[in-house]
Amino acid sequence: MQTSLSCLFAAARRPDLRVLSVTTVLALCACGEGRKPSSPANQGPDTSPVSLTLGGYTTPREAYGAIIPVFKAQWAKHSPRPVDFKDSYLGSGAQARAIVGGFEADVAALSLEPDIETIRKAGLITSDWKAGSHGGMVTRSIVVIGVRAGNPKTIHDWDDLAKPGISVLTPNVRTSGGARWNIAAIWGAALRGHTSAKAGDAAAATKLLGAILHNVKNMDAGARESLLNFERGVGDAIITYENEILVGKQKGQSYEYVIPKSTILIENPVAIVDSYVDKHGSRELAKALVDFLTTPEAQRIYAKNGLRPVLPQVASEVAATFPAPSDLFTVRDLGDWAGIQKSVFDTGTAYDLALGQAGGATP
Amino acid sequence: MKPAAYALAPTAGERLLRNAVVVYIWLLVAVPLVALVRVGLADGLQSLTHALSSPVARAALWLTLWTSTLVALLNAVLGTASAWVLVRYKLPGRALVSALIDLPLAIPTLVAGMMIAVLYGPLTLVGHALELWGMPIMFARPGIVLALLFVTLPFVIRAVEPVLMEIDPAEEEAARILGAGPLRTFQTVFLPAIGPAALSAAIRSLGRALGEFGSIVIVAGNIPLRTLTAPVYIFGEIESGTPRAAAAVCVLLLVLALALHGLASFIERRIGARHA
Repeated sequence: MQTSLSCLFAAARRPDLRVLSVTTVLALCACGEGRKPSSPANQGPDTSPVSLTLGGYTTPREAYGAIIPVFKAQWAKHSPRPVDFKDSYLGSGAQARAIVGGFEADVAALSLEPDIETIRKAGLITSDWKAGSHGGMVTRSIVVIGVRAGNPKTIHDWDDLAKPGISVLTPNVRTSGGARWNIAAIWGAALRGHTSAKAGDAAAATKLLGAILHNVKNMDAGARESLLNFERGVGDAIITYENEILVGKQKGQSYEYVIPKSTILIENPVAIVDSYVDKHGSRELAKALVDFLTTPEAQRIYAKNGLRPVLPQVASEVAATFPAPSDLFTVRDLGDWAGIQKSVFDTGTAYDLALGQAGGATP
Repeated sequence: MKPAAYALAPTAGERLLRNAVVVYIWLLVAVPLVALVRVGLADGLQSLTHALSSPVARAALWLTLWTSTLVALLNAVLGTASAWVLVRYKLPGRALVSALIDLPLAIPTLVAGMMIAVLYGPLTLVGHALELWGMPIMFARPGIVLALLFVTLPFVIRAVEPVLMEIDPAEEEAARILGAGPLRTFQTVFLPAIGPAALSAAIRSLGRALGEFGSIVIVAGNIPLRTLTAPVYIFGEIESGTPRAAAAVCVLLLVLALALHGLASFIERRIGARHA
């Protein structure tokens, strides 16, 4: 059985326990006003309204705020059906579980592949969501290190985060997709020999990870909260997405960032949730939206919001904003998310071992 | 003391109300409770012991236990002292102080966490100074204790206050006239009356502290093995898709909370019996 928002949610969803408990009432409230499937097409052009719900993760919220109106204008040009658009944003993992738990999003835009896979494994995505031109991915970013204005602690690479006395922020890997990219970035850089650890030496990579975790002061639930704490003055450095920092700087924040020699390429997927679009009769609209996301127009909006485009044409336009790290690797270089899960995040593996090394020494 | 049984037979309407209330309470509390225990014990007691074999889970439980117990002890002493002051002395702005005491129950605990974060965060003078002296409050264990003290503030005060007010001033006067000092008077006149009330309220504050999440998640730092408490651990396990491990720790906290509730009720019944 798939997991959900809480232990209680999990139980309330089971048919044998389907009672009108607090949790189901809450779930109903959260899932919005009863959406009806649009009526089947009769003769003549169908002018019935069609609704679409986008379930996104928090980071690209501003980008979608700009993309959705443009998409609606485009849609209006070739379809007489008015669009009732709803969008909701949560942490990536929480959004995936909300969708599995009955939040009927037609399109899911999440931070990382395993969260889309959560929805697929629950049987809600039945088609091959990776079949699209960019493997189901619509944006990219990289993991970087945010530092204070002027970089007073001279932090340039992963090893600098392990120095004694440096205070680091990174979110909790249990609750944040972003945090898992962060850990994978350090792990990959170390295993690939771009840190003080010897290439391929898992024990040395674990040790570096442990030294960095030892310096972590606060683990927030998500990447956004972590950055907010950094903006409040907590920490000397923050491990986060490049786009988060770029958006913060656009808003006038004084912090800077450094791109480590070796870091991971973040790829953010979008997928149509088949079960829900079929239920709502919104497949055509959902497909149009997903296709629109990789047009130059949408890709430029993403880029304005600090996200690296997947479309080569737009990527070359904005290359100056997004410098290339000297060693950029992907999750595939680390054996895909399944491999990373097995070697880093499973109980008793690298992350746990590193935590153990980081220990309970400091208060 | 129980009132005498009602002489009138219930009408149909009353019977309906009675049944509706029973169903309401069952659906609201008992059914979700059973559901949780079912998930927690889905693989038998083994999953419980397995969940507790993780050092992170054990450290989180231990941190929650000791901070909550410390807070309950502090509450017993400070809460009794506060009630004493409120009842015995005419404070200026007494109504305001009284409202402030109830405030922690009225505001979301997340807001309580934010208040502490704003005050002791690294950007404030206080927070900065504390950090320089090596006594940080934010993202450290003292922050956990402070947050728990805040959210459990009214428990002991509000339990001891009415008992103190009930004590006949003549008893105190008699003790003093008979030559007892202030300490002896407190021990013989006041403590027997307010002791059990303070104790049961402190136990209830312990139960409340064990489950505190909203303020803790902001102030604690949430680092596994260091500043991660059991409720935040549970949250993390749910969020990362391992509700079994979460449910096991949930069940443990639940049993503890129920036991504390039973103990507090027992003490309260004894107080009731003595008063009758």
